[in-house]
Amino acid sequence: MSNPQVVEVKQSSLQKEEPRIGVYVCHCGLNIAGSVDCENVAKFAATLPNVVISRDNRYTCSDQGQDLIKKDIKEHKLNRVVVASCSPRLHEPTFRRACEEAGLNKYLFEMANIREQCSWVHLYDKQDATEKAKDLVKAAVAKVALLEPATESEVPIIPKALVIGGGVAGIQAALDLADTGYQVYLVEKEPSIGGKMAQIDKTFPTMDCSICILAPKMSDAGRHPNITLLTNSEVQDVKGYIGNFKVKVLKKPRYVTKDCSACGDCSKVCPVIMPNEFDVGLAVRHGIYTPFAQAVPSTYVIGMEHCLNKDGVLKCDKCIKACERKAIDFDMKPETVELEVGTIIVATGADVYDPTSLRNYGYTKFPNVITSLEFERLINAGGPSGGKLLRPSDMKIPETVAFVQCVGSRSDRGHLYCSNICCMNTIKDALLIKEHWPDTKIYVFYVDIRAFGKGFEDLYKRARKEGVIFIRGLPSDIYEERKTHNLWLVGENTLQNDVYKVNVGMVILSVGIEPRRDSDVIQKLLVLSRTNDGFFMEAHPKLRPVDTPTGGVFLAGCAEGPKDIKDSVTQASAAAARAGILMAKGKVTVEAITPKVLPENCKVCGLCTKVCPYNAVVLNKDLKHVEVIEAACAGCGTCGAECPFGALYMRHFTDDQIIAQIDALTEHDADKKIIAFCCNWCAYAGADFAGVSRMQYPTNVRIIRTMCSGRVAPKFVERAFVRGAAAVLVAGCHIGDCHYINANVQTQKRVERLWKKMERLGLNKERLQLLWASAAEGERVASKVREMQSIVQSVTKEEIEKSKKMTEKV
Amino acid sequence: MQTRKPKISKELKEKLLDLEKLKYCFECGICTASCPMMELAPSHYNPRILLETIVLDPEKALTKPDIWLCGWCYRCYERCPQKLKPPEILLLVKTHAVEEGILEGFNEAAKIMGETVALAESCYYVCFHPERTKMRQEDFENVLKKLIKNRNKTKRQKIKPQGEKIAIIGSGPAGLTAAYELAKKGYHVTVFEAYPEIGGMLRYGIPEKRLPRKAVDDDVEYIKGFGVEFKTNTALGKDITFDQLKDEGYKAIFIAVGALKSRKIGCEGEELEGAVCALDFLRDVKSKKTVTIGEKVAVIGGGNVAVDAARTALHGGAKEVTILYRRTREEMPANPWEVKEAEEEGIKLEFLVAPSRILGKDGKVAGLELVRMELGEPDETGRRTPKPVKDSNFTREFDMIILAVGEAVDTSFLPKEIELSDINTIWADPITMETTKEGVFAGGDAVTGPASVMEGIVAGKRAADSIDRYVKGG
Ligand SMILES: Cc1cc2nc3c(=O)[nH]c(=O)nc-3n(C[C@H](O)[C@H](O)[C@H](O)COP(=O)(O)OP(=O)(O)OC[C@H]3O[C@@H](n4cnc5c(N)ncnc54)[C@H](O)[C@@H]3O)c2cc1C
Ligand SMILES: Cc1cc2nc3c(=O)[nH]c(=O)nc-3n(C[C@H](O)[C@H](O)[C@H](O)COP(=O)(O)OP(=O)(O)OC[C@H]3O[C@@H](n4cnc5c(N)ncnc54)[C@H](O)[C@@H]3O)c2cc1C
Ligand code: SF4
Ligand code: SF4
Ligand code: SF4
Ligand code: SF4
Repeated sequence: MSNPQVVEVKQSSLQKEEPRIGVYVCHCGLNIAGSVDCENVAKFAATLPNVVISRDNRYTCSDQGQDLIKKDIKEHKLNRVVVASCSPRLHEPTFRRACEEAGLNKYLFEMANIREQCSWVHLYDKQDATEKAKDLVKAAVAKVALLEPATESEVPIIPKALVIGGGVAGIQAALDLADTGYQVYLVEKEPSIGGKMAQIDKTFPTMDCSICILAPKMSDAGRHPNITLLTNSEVQDVKGYIGNFKVKVLKKPRYVTKDCSACGDCSKVCPVIMPNEFDVGLAVRHGIYTPFAQAVPSTYVIGMEHCLNKDGVLKCDKCIKACERKAIDFDMKPETVELEVGTIIVATGADVYDPTSLRNYGYTKFPNVITSLEFERLINAGGPSGGKLLRPSDMKIPETVAFVQCVGSRSDRGHLYCSNICCMNTIKDALLIKEHWPDTKIYVFYVDIRAFGKGFEDLYKRARKEGVIFIRGLPSDIYEERKTHNLWLVGENTLQNDVYKVNVGMVILSVGIEPRRDSDVIQKLLVLSRTNDGFFMEAHPKLRPVDTPTGGVFLAGCAEGPKDIKDSVTQASAAAARAGILMAKGKVTVEAITPKVLPENCKVCGLCTKVCPYNAVVLNKDLKHVEVIEAACAGCGTCGAECPFGALYMRHFTDDQIIAQIDALTEHDADKKIIAFCCNWCAYAGADFAGVSRMQYPTNVRIIRTMCSGRVAPKFVERAFVRGAAAVLVAGCHIGDCHYINANVQTQKRVERLWKKMERLGLNKERLQLLWASAAEGERVASKVREMQSIVQSVTKEEIEKSKKMTEKV
Repeated sequence: MQTRKPKISKELKEKLLDLEKLKYCFECGICTASCPMMELAPSHYNPRILLETIVLDPEKALTKPDIWLCGWCYRCYERCPQKLKPPEILLLVKTHAVEEGILEGFNEAAKIMGETVALAESCYYVCFHPERTKMRQEDFENVLKKLIKNRNKTKRQKIKPQGEKIAIIGSGPAGLTAAYELAKKGYHVTVFEAYPEIGGMLRYGIPEKRLPRKAVDDDVEYIKGFGVEFKTNTALGKDITFDQLKDEGYKAIFIAVGALKSRKIGCEGEELEGAVCALDFLRDVKSKKTVTIGEKVAVIGGGNVAVDAARTALHGGAKEVTILYRRTREEMPANPWEVKEAEEEGIKLEFLVAPSRILGKDGKVAGLELVRMELGEPDETGRRTPKPVKDSNFTREFDMIILAVGEAVDTSFLPKEIELSDINTIWADPITMETTKEGVFAGGDAVTGPASVMEGIVAGKRAADSIDRYVKGG
């Protein structure tokens, strides 16, 4: 660890020093070298101002690569380092650490992204890709020369966690954290914790009883001194930042107090009867009820809507009279609980697909066509039929049963992804039927059987051995026989090229898993991203699989994607560990990218205070300038872009640095280029994703990264045009998804103002484009660049000359 | 014969694979199982395998007769999990085959059509659509001629009806096919038809421009050649009863009365002069009655009948024809290709509008009061239900309104034992086609609701097999 004081001394001496820059061009095996001539790029870098040493090597991130940088820093007295390799979103921390280890302040390091945003997206155009790489290196060198050392401030972390969602994942995460010694709030929307796992009968691949293994965990969570259970509750508001979140939770009234002993006397007298949600409507419950026998908390709950008459007046009080412990309180009111936590784990799980819209399968039309979730309740001893697989039409046990796979999954009519659990679930279900009623004839109609996990193939073999018939080919239609309510499945056996017509007593649609229908609520509250599939997106699919892009927020279970119990629990423990690590540190360093106020420039106009999403810039009338509240500032740079007098100095993304990048990128052939400003979280990440997915697009785009699109000051755009750029792209997160609450609204306003100005000046406003693209929308970024080619081509010499005067007239 | 090795350009291949999402086919077999052509000619046609051939060896696909055998019913597309459109994929391949001058597959296909479908000539026009490939008219006609010649070769001498008596009610594609198949099996088949002429919707619905009378005449003649008897102007329930049929010794009855009842929209002004139902309009035009066609015509509805009515109005001299549909293009039940052709002819489409009143002047249609719609929550069919946007009423001038908001089955003549389905069509067992009354079978539009010629043909064939089993078995 470097001694901060030493760094301070070095820093002050550095400021006067001439920059001595080292450039390292990485081949990344053939990942970069395959389409970029790295040697050539390194040679070119050596010719750039202030560059003392320039090298290319196979893997810069390897130990040898890092050692080389450290050695050079010492031997060649480097005071600035540029690595041209992959995305800074991946390896910036690695190289920053290497610099620090060699005694160089980590803020004196810069990366050029020549892999995700160059070699991978221009696989077949080595010449132009190499030219682009040179440009990117040139811009990085220009920026690094202007970088300044900085020390990071630290903020304390509240050692408490919030877990949203009390399914198996949420329970596991809460228990792990509570056992470590942290205070945990577990918020569950339903009256009981347990989630989907409480509803299912047995679990694959071990075939053990689901509720038997879950119930002890549920009561552990209910009893744990470090866990506060908030059931029947929903998160309403989240403010703050990593380590210091302020959360509002709405606790809906149960109308039954803690005095309830779960004797059930009230239920017996309640006249209201309605479908029981827990049994997916296959059984009924009373108005006052407990969702299921093992519910935690076991306290009864009243669904008040049914106790009132049309005018909202209570029409019945039988339960109050029946309760000896006087635990029923109709006057309970919804209550808002305010929590302060340091970390948040999202474990909101998933919904199951509703196959009603697939008319050819007759779900809801034919009583004996059911879903796999309904099957779980029917086969469960605690379920509505006491564990007997009774078909709904006549309450008889069917002699033949068919499972239909991939219903709503891998399909353009439902969800495009594979739901991951339904193959194994069907195999489990088939075996359960065989176990109870061995003579049942069972068909499974499938496209692929995906039995990839530990113990899965064994279970699949067992099902085959037991005589389950697997037929490749999905039914095109399911018809009902009117008298018997038996079902015909008509399809093609695609291995035999033969059409089958199979008659069965019951059909089970193996429905997929889908994102919670209300995912957008949590998404907005916590500024998360979602993948195209709709599940919450992880910070990095391989290396940070349970982190989210929002600091201090983690994911567990099906909320992140379809998965089985084992994976949900594994992920929950991982999320708990990640949150625990943060809280164990006790404090978090804040990146030194917050603005510094230059009091002499500030005219106290207050413009910046209006745009800051966090209200972190405030007017101080006495001091006659604005002040920045460090702890509240998130570093988006929106204020800096707004200030007309340059009074807010955005550390690490200063005006000078960004302008130096623009100038470097427009030094030659500007009239053929697109200068793109991309926000770190969405658009830049989206461009990275395009690279990872090898989406190809034209080479003439040059991306400059800012933390937020709100940092893009109009003068940057103008600068690019004045320097002769053919087109400019400003790209950020979708409105509503901004990682700085709503800073991108300012982006939109500024771009709209620029468009007006361009129109006024007789410039083609098409040359300035605005794009909203999420981190998952690589294709949006790629196609935008493709689409902009026609604009670039249509820009004339005269038009370019005209725009060079863009700043003069105003 | 040595043919030049056909080629498929990289672009076309990419287009086929990408544009039409062919790459995403995961071979579930749903298309094959839902395909009527596959059921009629299983040894010749399997769309799933055909699509795979196109992926693996597009050049080979060019010469195959299979590519010509799709009946454009879109049943596969309605079910395919990947929303592939086999008829349109095949059209691309066929078009390329025509460009390359490869017609041997087509010739072979025509032979297969003649052998498998009794209504081969009509189907040539309204199902197989070789003309969509932009082939030369000459080729189109030559192959058709060959088809007819080939078929007539197999035609037997006019035979005297013999064997057990079977009654067929309705002479549309379903009835005709059942009659033909049963006659071939040696039954004495009588077809009862309410209208003066034989052919059902082939005769009275589908516009002349798309299906010439001669084709239907030829097909009917061909079927007559197998000894099928026809009694026209004889409606079951009016001119003859179920009991009579039984008394006359018919062993089984096949009801194929189609879906001929035009639905009403139930708004003010439907009685005005100039407001007509699409089926009546089309029938009158086809029957060569004098029909007054307006200048500014509105067609209300989004199905194939709406599209045909609109095109017929346009060909009949209307200046401007607009189809008004209450949902969006996505939800239109009409075949996408039919819609495309209509648009190319200059017919306008307007979505998310519904009539609230037909406006009149002096007892004649003067316009429509319309209301804007928006799509709400999906209903049980998975389609989002349109609901009116508040205060969005507006009026538009028209002098003719054609209502094509759907066709229903007339079930008033049926005995009680014959139960109806949940969509008020005749209920028949989907496998045996038997209704809830023993010995009475049903099929075609009367069971499925408005569908297609191909589906009607398959229903007829299925019913014939089932009736054969029934009569032999009992
Ligand atoms: C039919 C079926 C059978 C299955 N069989 C098996 C099997 O045999 N073996 C196996 O390993 N896996 C099986 N699974 C998968 C298993 O159910 C899941 O892996 C597991 O339930 C995921 O747990 P979870 O905690 O992530 O989500 P869930 O179980 O869905 O729990 C999420 C919880 O969060 C709550 N919640 C949601 N939104 C909010 C909110 N905004 N605020 C507060 N709370 C919220 C929900 O009410 C719920 O209690 C099966 C799944 C299905 C559908
Ligand atoms: C305008 C229009 C265009 C179409 N275009 C196409 C197309 O391009 N391609 C395609 O595949 N499909 C098309 N169709 C659909 C196709 O025509 C029908 O699906 C098909 O004709 C149905 O055949 P069917 O035998 O069931 O009934 P129909 O063809 O409707 O025949 C039923 C017959 O039964 C008779 N009948 C009714 N009641 C009685 C009774 N009580 N006693 C005796 N006889 C009775 C009727 O007079 C009629 O002749 C179109 C339909 C219409 C209306
Ligand atoms: S797990 Fe199996 S059934 Fe489920 S979507 Fe994937 S392949 Fe289909
Ligand atoms: S606008 Fe952004 S950078 Fe400026 S003070 Fe607010 S949070 Fe910090
Ligand atoms: S239905 Fe679709 S996915 Fe299935 S085999 Fe046919 S084309 Fe392929
Ligand atoms: S459109 Fe109809 S005939 Fe053609 S492949 Fe599809 S189902 Fe078969």
